[in-house]
Amino acid sequence: MTEYFIRRVLQSILVLFLITLITFGLIHAAPGGPTKIFLAPGLSQEAAKIQAHNLGLDQPVAVQYIKWVGGLLKGDLGYTFKNHLPVGQILWPTVGNTVVLMGVAWLLSLLIAVPWGIYNSTKEYGLSDQTASFVSYVGFAMPTFWFGILLQEMFALNLDWLPLSDMWTMGKEGNIGNLFMHLILPVTVLTLGFLAAYSKYARSSMLEVLEQDYIRTARAKGVKERRVIFRHALRNALIPIITVLGLDLPILVGGAALTESVFNWPGMGRLFIDMAVAREYSVLMAITLITAVVVIIGNLIADILYAVVDPRVQLGKGGRSA
Amino acid sequence: MAERLLEIENLTTGFMTEKGFVKATDNISLTIEKGKTLCLVGESGSGKSVTSLSIMRLIDYAGGSILDGKIVFRGDDLAAKDQEEMRKIRGNKIAMIFQDPMSALNPVFSVGDQIAESLRLHQNKSESEAWKEAVNLLRMVGIPAPEIRAKQYPHELSGGMCQRVVIAVALACNPELLIADEPTTALDVTVQAQILDLLQKLKQELGMSILLITHDMGVAAEMADRIAVMYAGAIVEEGTVEEIFANPSHPYTVGLLQSIPGFEGTRGKELYTIKGTIPGLGNLPGGCRFHPRCPHVMDKCKTQEPLDFKVGNDHSAVCWLYEDKAPVVLGRNGGETK
Amino acid sequence: MSANLNNDIAPGGQPSVQPQREDVQPTAPLKKPPGPWMTVWKKFSRNVYAMTGLVVVLIFVIAAILAPLLAPYEPSHIDLMFANLPAGTDNHLLGTDELGRDIFSRLLYSSRISLLVGFAVAAASVIIGSLIGSLAGYFGGWLDTIFMRFVDVMNSIPLLFLNILVLAIFGSKVSYMIMILIFTSWMSVARLVRGTFLQLRETQYVEAAKAIGVSSWGIIFRHLLRNASFPIIVNATLMVGGAILSESALSYLGLGVQEPDTSWGKMLSNAQEFMLIDPIQAVYPGLCIFIVVLAVNFVGDGIRDALDPRQKAMVSRRRLKQWRKDYSK
Repeated sequence: MTEYFIRRVLQSILVLFLITLITFGLIHAAPGGPTKIFLAPGLSQEAAKIQAHNLGLDQPVAVQYIKWVGGLLKGDLGYTFKNHLPVGQILWPTVGNTVVLMGVAWLLSLLIAVPWGIYNSTKEYGLSDQTASFVSYVGFAMPTFWFGILLQEMFALNLDWLPLSDMWTMGKEGNIGNLFMHLILPVTVLTLGFLAAYSKYARSSMLEVLEQDYIRTARAKGVKERRVIFRHALRNALIPIITVLGLDLPILVGGAALTESVFNWPGMGRLFIDMAVAREYSVLMAITLITAVVVIIGNLIADILYAVVDPRVQLGKGGRSA
Repeated sequence: MAERLLEIENLTTGFMTEKGFVKATDNISLTIEKGKTLCLVGESGSGKSVTSLSIMRLIDYAGGSILDGKIVFRGDDLAAKDQEEMRKIRGNKIAMIFQDPMSALNPVFSVGDQIAESLRLHQNKSESEAWKEAVNLLRMVGIPAPEIRAKQYPHELSGGMCQRVVIAVALACNPELLIADEPTTALDVTVQAQILDLLQKLKQELGMSILLITHDMGVAAEMADRIAVMYAGAIVEEGTVEEIFANPSHPYTVGLLQSIPGFEGTRGKELYTIKGTIPGLGNLPGGCRFHPRCPHVMDKCKTQEPLDFKVGNDHSAVCWLYEDKAPVVLGRNGGETK
Repeated sequence: MSANLNNDIAPGGQPSVQPQREDVQPTAPLKKPPGPWMTVWKKFSRNVYAMTGLVVVLIFVIAAILAPLLAPYEPSHIDLMFANLPAGTDNHLLGTDELGRDIFSRLLYSSRISLLVGFAVAAASVIIGSLIGSLAGYFGGWLDTIFMRFVDVMNSIPLLFLNILVLAIFGSKVSYMIMILIFTSWMSVARLVRGTFLQLRETQYVEAAKAIGVSSWGIIFRHLLRNASFPIIVNATLMVGGAILSESALSYLGLGVQEPDTSWGKMLSNAQEFMLIDPIQAVYPGLCIFIVVLAVNFVGDGIRDALDPRQKAMVSRRRLKQWRKDYSK
């Protein structure tokens, strides 16, 4: 077990290292290099040189990289170029806001999708199953931002039931009821997307398990159908669902960016888009790193859950290979 | 004649497939006597497994259904029962073991749990009682150190061990009928013999009847009291094991026996094979379903389905070859009753 | 099992009765069994959803190709005198936008870029993905290790972020967008091919091919890739939809297509600004994306279902009763 963890952590560090290399490399591969982008236009040659020196941009790329990584290890995410604000100060509040939005949407969709998918697997091609199939098709084909815009037009502009965008109404920051009203539309958008995927996964995973020999054995034993589904089949069906949940984490974070953008939600995804347009690379690098860390931790948790559910997986002995 | 435990009368089952409806068993009848073993022999795809699943009424879950006929078990027609009533019989009065022991056990539960579950279901035993009984059952089926094994998971056991566990699951509630669907096919030859011996021993100790399904005439010779030969969804020959081996009558049975390596009269010669392959169940030839592969085919075979002829004492075959030599058995499979 | 399997089954799924068997002569000349493509097409063409999807996709493709002929107006022609006209006025089929541009013409021209991106990304991803997946799966070793670590890295970054980052750094051009979408899409095909190869690498017929001296590339192309071809096609089809959605998202965010070019995502981004004045403008481009992606996904699912041998026809209780009745007659 400990050996497994050490190996996993080492692997994760390698992946993180590669990610820092890629992001850093991308920025330095930009036409003209970062110097041209980072410095305000219209500076005199002299002033540009001084500023480049202050920002450390006149040093070799390798030195810059090592300095940046060194700062990261100390918890220093760097400073923005424009106002020279600490990146952490801008970034951390948005992380919290994204967690609120995504957490609510994700939990809600899991709570609906998994039981629904299981139910549908027992009543294949029934009314409920066909509804789910319809929802999946719509969810997969509907551009999230378009769905968001339509909901805004309908419920905010036409009916005026719900706020158009943002996280709080001005002056009501911290009011839970107000937050709730603001959450409804973006959560609906996100939930449709997740629901489409997860109810399908849950259903097909259950269907596959229900065809297995051991399910027939359970029935041959005279086990009640309810018990066959919830005890014999469900635990096996959860195994692939857990894997998918782990692998989906980046989609979770990335998918939120569009929704956050449509609803002007002050989250990490929107910050990333804004900062990409403003070319604030230190912020972009920080966000990429944070999401990667979250994803890696999520996958680790998924692996542990996997081992808990499936006795065939022993974390100490190589586990499953990707 | 001994007391009849199970009588299948004119059972017809089928599946809906993409191409339409396909009959898997066609008007078959079988009898299993108390304490005796009936072997159902045939190639894969001949409808043997469907017959066993029909008795258990598990065919409903496999996408098939019973169209016609009766399955009378101790005076009750199982074909007319609903699933809730069947549930109380399954695993209790009739138990089943399957072909591939490794996949027949649920990978996420310990083997002890899986045995104890039957006991708790049908005999309302407490958890600790059921566990104790499960350990005893493991000992009975010849698993060493059963206390330790009971806590292990299927992937930690060998194939032969798993089949012993599957047998223990099936025997947990002392069933009157054990259906064994190719119980040794997936196992090594040495293990096969052990499992067959175990079944034979348990049958004598517990006094149960066995319906053994196999494609292997050798296994049938060792285990059976009676043999029924099945071909493409119908029973083509039936009789006591002695009769069938001494006087095989249907050309298909003859072919099956001749293709056993080392069977009398075949030693030293080239191994016999039945030409052609078994037809798909949706694609049966007209007349006798065996006629395209039959070495003795006559014109009549191509157009008319043969009747069941009594070819010996307690021995019948569905074949036109015996039309002039033997009396017809009425009410058996063949075209007569339908 | 061959083509004449149907003969035994009476129309309407009734169980066959004896007399019908007589016309099936085993001596009848056997037709050459249809190839795998034919079998799949046969099943596919019976699927209403899949066929509808295919027709819809074809209509959109033809419309995109013929856009210059079909469009009544120049798509980027600005005429502020005729801004925000309602649908149907002055030959503007769907009205005009805030700059007086004809919406219908813009939708037509938008489809060109959206579909181009969708198909180009899918096609290139399949080629690159198959190549890399073949190498990793066939040769294994350090090549495979590098591949798997790379996939790990890509799986740890939200791909949308990577797209945004690259377009922000290098500038927004359609060609860049296609390239970065390819870069972030090929992994699924590569993993699929790699998986198939790992499975088949040890099989007897590959061993046999090696033993008689077939070259590695011969084995890869003639034996292995062919085995993976159907799943790749399914994957590619679904990828077209994904790429169209990604394109529209990036253009919506202002990072994709730039003026005077237009795409559905770009139109949506405009429409959102003028949501209060003219809400219907946000409906058309979104609907186009939705319909095309839905149609493409129907086609992909249709192919997958046609490939799935396990697919069983479900039996309703009513039909079962009917068979029992028919049977006992």
